Amino acid sequence: MNEAKRKLLNKRYRAEANFKLFGQIAIGLALLFLAVFMYKIFSKGYTAFQKTWIVTEVHYDKELMLIETDNPSLEDLENADYYEIAYKAMTRLDPSLPEEDDRQLIQMVAFTYEQEVKNHLLKNPSLLGKIVPIRLTASDDLDQVHKGNYPRDIPEEDRRVNDYQLKIYDMLNERGDILSKFNLSFFTNPDSREAELAGIASSFMGTVFSILVCLAFSFPIAVLAAIYLEEFAPKNKFTDFIEVNINNLAAVPSIVFGLLGLGVLLAVFNLPRSTPLVGGITLSLMTLPTIIIAARASLKAVPPSIREAALAMGASNMQTTMHHTVPLSMPGTLSGTIIGLAQALGETAPLILIGMVAFVNTIPGTPVDPAASLPVQIYIWSESAERGFVEKVSACIMVLLGFLILMNLAAQIIRHKFERKWN
Amino acid sequence: MTKISAKNVNVFYGSKQALFDVSLDIMDKEVTALIGPSGCGKSTFLRCLNRMNDVIDICKVEGSIKMDELELNSRKLDVVRLRENVGMVFQKPNPFPKTIYENVSYGPTIHGMAQSKSELDQIVEMSLKKAALWEEVKDRLDEIGTGLSGGQQQRLCIARAISVSPEVILMDEPCSALDPIATAQIEELIDDLKKEHTIVIVTHSMSQAARVSQKTGFFHLGKLIEFGDTEKIFKNPDNQQTQDYITGRFG
Repeated sequence: MNEAKRKLLNKRYRAEANFKLFGQIAIGLALLFLAVFMYKIFSKGYTAFQKTWIVTEVHYDKELMLIETDNPSLEDLENADYYEIAYKAMTRLDPSLPEEDDRQLIQMVAFTYEQEVKNHLLKNPSLLGKIVPIRLTASDDLDQVHKGNYPRDIPEEDRRVNDYQLKIYDMLNERGDILSKFNLSFFTNPDSREAELAGIASSFMGTVFSILVCLAFSFPIAVLAAIYLEEFAPKNKFTDFIEVNINNLAAVPSIVFGLLGLGVLLAVFNLPRSTPLVGGITLSLMTLPTIIIAARASLKAVPPSIREAALAMGASNMQTTMHHTVPLSMPGTLSGTIIGLAQALGETAPLILIGMVAFVNTIPGTPVDPAASLPVQIYIWSESAERGFVEKVSACIMVLLGFLILMNLAAQIIRHKFERKWN
Repeated sequence: MTKISAKNVNVFYGSKQALFDVSLDIMDKEVTALIGPSGCGKSTFLRCLNRMNDVIDICKVEGSIKMDELELNSRKLDVVRLRENVGMVFQKPNPFPKTIYENVSYGPTIHGMAQSKSELDQIVEMSLKKAALWEEVKDRLDEIGTGLSGGQQQRLCIARAISVSPEVILMDEPCSALDPIATAQIEELIDDLKKEHTIVIVTHSMSQAARVSQKTGFFHLGKLIEFGDTEKIFKNPDNQQTQDYITGRFG
């Protein structure tokens, strides 16, 4: 081997080593971004899964509740007055406080405290007339203080929790009367203007309904279109044109579909605004090309020898397609469908346009009830000024990511388990 | 007796002509072998006999092919019924990715040949027996057909083809993907099958053509150069090109 040849060989080895190094750097960077992103979300969001309560005592005093009968029925309890006893339950935390400053104590719990006092009694009617401990949802500001997300060292006038409230908080905390437990209401409550009460139930159900509507509209249409185009349609200029347009459709920005939903579904067909029905149909326009492309690709992947075998047995085109080609292509089609739905799951822009951005404080029971969706909920909360919503945004992102990971996992499993490898 | 009679068959793929004026007669209950170098049109001709060329959009067939009194190259022909009568075995074994039983029962099922499950069972057993596969698979009929060995897969395809009792079986290089032992089994099978079926086989192996067939046709560049009794073609061909091909001087 002469000198020039050796040099060339070394150069080739070096080039390969460099190429490998660049590849590793690229992967490292990608992983780093992912790790930073995940760390940001999790470190901010995990506290949202904890909820803070203030424990106090309530006296279910018949007189103050304006109950006149001796043996009140549940209905009487339902109609009783709770304002006074709930108010007293809070002010008893600091009897020395002058009456005109009572609001300072009331502000430490969520505005629903009266309802909470009432619900507690309705669950245990035997408590009537007794003095019992009760836990009340802490206000979002106090909640943030308890979680350490709220700086206590900034000047009092810039703080939403004043020095007096902090003093009471510290006293309660020392007594062990501040409770912190798993935040179930984050999953069961609808949205609220108050961060401590806001939950994802309405947007989660909205997302579920939207995805179901989207699936119901896009899957049958897309699969039929794909089967027709791949197995039956003549191959000519016109079908080429259709194919190009389907591919173009997949690249159309989602907000354009939102405008279409707004202009056609709402304006022309007068479907109910802000509902998962409209959201789902709009999203299905986006999902449609994705599923068609996936279904066509997996139909194409079925080897022609299978079609020939069926045709040579005297099967009609329809039988060949339905008995052999379509079943063999189903795993690919299904995993493509799930990927398409996962994309739709994260869509925000088209849903905002068709009004699913409205503030919804009820949990939708059907696809025609107003609802939000998870990504839109993230958007709504991220616009809110209160500190309590910051962790909610991250928590909502976590739920959405979990949803996405589950769907992609399902797609992977279907692909690996059922997809046939042709040799 | 003539089973299939082709007259002046021309086949075009778009503007390219693949077959030129091919005329030949295929005898009933005989094996007819079609030989020739790659791309000579023998497979194209074979696929005219069960209209498999219909699958190819740009393919156009001219001329007349009669099976008994039925004109095969007619727009009005019901290809589904034709293929019920003309089975086909392909170059690469292509069983359906379903069970062995389903592979064989598919044809009888779609053509409504069995009234009951037991009748269908019988057809499956008979077809597998005729294809000399029964003994090897009778205990595992519910296994996937694609899990068999290459030779077994090809015999399964033959069983599938004969399950609808076709009068004619077309074989497109059925042994080219098989080892010599499997090939010998298939050749033996062809010998048996010709008692009940008319067989047309395309093959690259001249020794195979000589072993299994009674008539041989030699194709070259889309033309049928010579057609006649196998013995004569191999021992004393009329045409110099045939002579050259058979003795291995080209192709």
